[in-house]
Amino acid sequence: MKLVLFSGGLEKDNQSLDRSFIELLPKKNPVVTFIPSSSYLSEQEFKAFVRHYSRFKISRFIHFPVDVPFDRIIFQEVMRSDVIHLAGGNTFYFLNSLRKAKLLLELRKYAEKGGILTGLSAGAILMTENIDMAAYPEFDRDENVVNLKNLASLNLVNFAFFPHFKNSARYDAVFRKYSRTKKKLIYACPDGAGIVVHGDEIRFVGPCYGFAGGQKFTVN
Amino acid sequence: MNQVKKSPAETADRSYGAFSRINGQHPFKDSVPNGRVEYKARYKKGGKVSFFNFDLAKEMGLLPKNHPETLNPDLEKEILRAFSIVIINEYDLINEIKFPEDEIYPNTFMATRYLQLQHPDKSGRTSGDGRTIWNGTIRHNGMSWDVSSCGTGGTKLSPACNINKKFYQTGDPSISYGCGLSEVGEGLETLFFSEVLRKNGFRTERVLAIVEYDKGISINVRANPNLIRPSHFFGHLKQGNLETLKQVADYFIKRQCENKAWEQTTFKSDKEKYQYLAKQVAKSFAETAAKFEDEYIFCWLDWDGDNILMDGGIIDYGSIRQFGLFHAEYRYDDVQRYSTSILEQRQKARYIVQCFAQIADFLTTKKKKSLSQFRKDVNVDYFDKHFIHCKNRNLLQRIGIKKNHQDYLLKEHLQLVTKFRKVFSYFERSKSKRGIYKVADGINRDAIFCMRDILRELPQIYLTRGSELNPQEFLEVIKSSYAKKSDLRLTFLRVKQIQRFQSLYMSMVRALEKHAGVSRSQFLLELTMRSSIVNRYDRVTGDSITYIVQKVMRMRPKLTADELYLLAEEFSSYQNLDPDQKAEPSEVPERHRNIMKGFTSIVRECREGI
Repeated sequence: MKLVLFSGGLEKDNQSLDRSFIELLPKKNPVVTFIPSSSYLSEQEFKAFVRHYSRFKISRFIHFPVDVPFDRIIFQEVMRSDVIHLAGGNTFYFLNSLRKAKLLLELRKYAEKGGILTGLSAGAILMTENIDMAAYPEFDRDENVVNLKNLASLNLVNFAFFPHFKNSARYDAVFRKYSRTKKKLIYACPDGAGIVVHGDEIRFVGPCYGFAGGQKFTVN
Repeated sequence: MNQVKKSPAETADRSYGAFSRINGQHPFKDSVPNGRVEYKARYKKGGKVSFFNFDLAKEMGLLPKNHPETLNPDLEKEILRAFSIVIINEYDLINEIKFPEDEIYPNTFMATRYLQLQHPDKSGRTSGDGRTIWNGTIRHNGMSWDVSSCGTGGTKLSPACNINKKFYQTGDPSISYGCGLSEVGEGLETLFFSEVLRKNGFRTERVLAIVEYDKGISINVRANPNLIRPSHFFGHLKQGNLETLKQVADYFIKRQCENKAWEQTTFKSDKEKYQYLAKQVAKSFAETAAKFEDEYIFCWLDWDGDNILMDGGIIDYGSIRQFGLFHAEYRYDDVQRYSTSILEQRQKARYIVQCFAQIADFLTTKKKKSLSQFRKDVNVDYFDKHFIHCKNRNLLQRIGIKKNHQDYLLKEHLQLVTKFRKVFSYFERSKSKRGIYKVADGINRDAIFCMRDILRELPQIYLTRGSELNPQEFLEVIKSSYAKKSDLRLTFLRVKQIQRFQSLYMSMVRALEKHAGVSRSQFLLELTMRSSIVNRYDRVTGDSITYIVQKVMRMRPKLTADELYLLAEEFSSYQNLDPDQKAEPSEVPERHRNIMKGFTSIVRECREGI
């Protein structure tokens, strides 16, 4: 499995993580599918995404919103693409749209067959077992705009991921408390940092903190 | 009501002094004495401002650029003073109804005369603004604006007055359209539709304010740099009234020149001036008719020319619709007759141009010749050619091609573009085997293909796959929800047309990549990005606007005028399908985001309808 979990931040903050992503690519000029969290004004996000990755000499992209109906032909192209990127946004809305479009299983199969799956913020949370992290902490969480009850997600990794982490006492307190009640290890990354999963290997790019059993530790 | 007794200039808050310039005075009154009816008016109590267009007000110079986009008590007072008006009409005068002197405005307000089909007279002697008065005009930054209000009372130019041969009291419940009032729903529908269409390059009236009263009654205030319609000319043309026709033409031309709406502003002779007028009408109406056809805008253009402005701008959204697909056989059922169809609009526009050729000749020679003599007039010929040119350009725009690349193709590969337009039309105009059937407000025969879907997906499929779609795949992408199995048979002709479509599309791509000196994938990528905006999945239709307005009406007790303004702004920005726009992410309150989500799901639900 090849996964890249981006926390977020500006393009220049993500240079190292981008390099790691590029190293994973199987060929020159791969096909990259961009899945926005919502189709609402997603064309502008797509444009920015294309502009960014064009610098790495990638020129074949698919824009694939999943909260509007799509046809079988474009879907086949998406599943044939070398990379699928799950963009940032409201995690609840995104998961709900993927589930309604019956894409959760398809994306899982895609990743298991060796397709590269990348995710930014909400998109990265979606790669974990569930999207609990989107509801934490109370002062910095996504609103459950679709009143989603089933938070089970792609379950591609055996840890929880928290993006946009700020290394502060306020955040520490919340995650220490949370990790006391949960078995899963939490990796929290500030903007510009992230995690690369390549087969059994997990690599941390930039600062990363772990929370488990009420304790915080520095991973990278 | 003291604020009316004094002249508006005396009482106006100093920061809102510009409102006092909108006071009933209008140059049309003096320029065309027989072109209007004047009414005294009084302040209408009980109004509240339920919408105010800050953006437009700033453009018109009614508000300073740095005015916050919130309504304050002083501003609301000024808006009400300027626009909360009801005329003292013939019924009031005959029945000697008395109104307090201090509620009566010092100036008169005009209702203009224009030709209207609904009137028994059919020559414009009795018809015109039936429930509208012109508030006045305001000039700012070299641009004059006309302001008029709908719902200010029944005039003697309304159809009801003339059909039933009696005057009506404003608000008379025994008649609907002729009672002189309008409703909040009408104002909101115009607001949402006009702001969306304006952002997408249509010329249109805009809503400046909605003043609301009990029971959903409202005064809807509209503005445009020139509110003159072809029908303002046609009445006097029909009557052979050269003097008034000339006055209307001279008035209109003067305003266009003052506003620099035309390239040429000085003329050596009357002949040159009136021929230029006819040519401008031909140009505007060719552009408008082509854009209406290509953007699936249904506007009931007819020979009286009262549903459209002189520059082809949209006025009166009562019968305007935007279809999701090319439903070329939809006709609105207007009880006595069916409307024109979207494909007949071109002929109606051409007819309007022919009338202006006749007008130009009449004004120059002072002899009114038969309209049929102008069937092959140079301006009509120009209309036909310009219409085709606009159709070609619109198609290239719909594909996602940039302006300079459009210019190149139209100059160097016109034949290729024309061939592609023909095969494009074959699919666009394909209709369901179900045939014509009744819909809620008329009749329709469904279009079966969604051209926006194929134009959006084709470049990215070519980009990733590097090869064309097979016929079955092509139909899979292009089919609309209206298409049944029997509509999608792969006949010999259809397979040929699918091959032709793709081959001509790729020929244009090849020509442009060579011209631009870029690789195919670079070029297709650019098309992918541009086309994804131009052909966004969810584009408004007439039905979606109706449902959105119903939703807004339900929310409105809790929706302030400021919130409504923000929502209309947000919605029209979301529906802006200009690939060259510089979209800036706006900070929208959570509540608005949720409302917008409701709007988007309505738009999606209705995306292929009428």
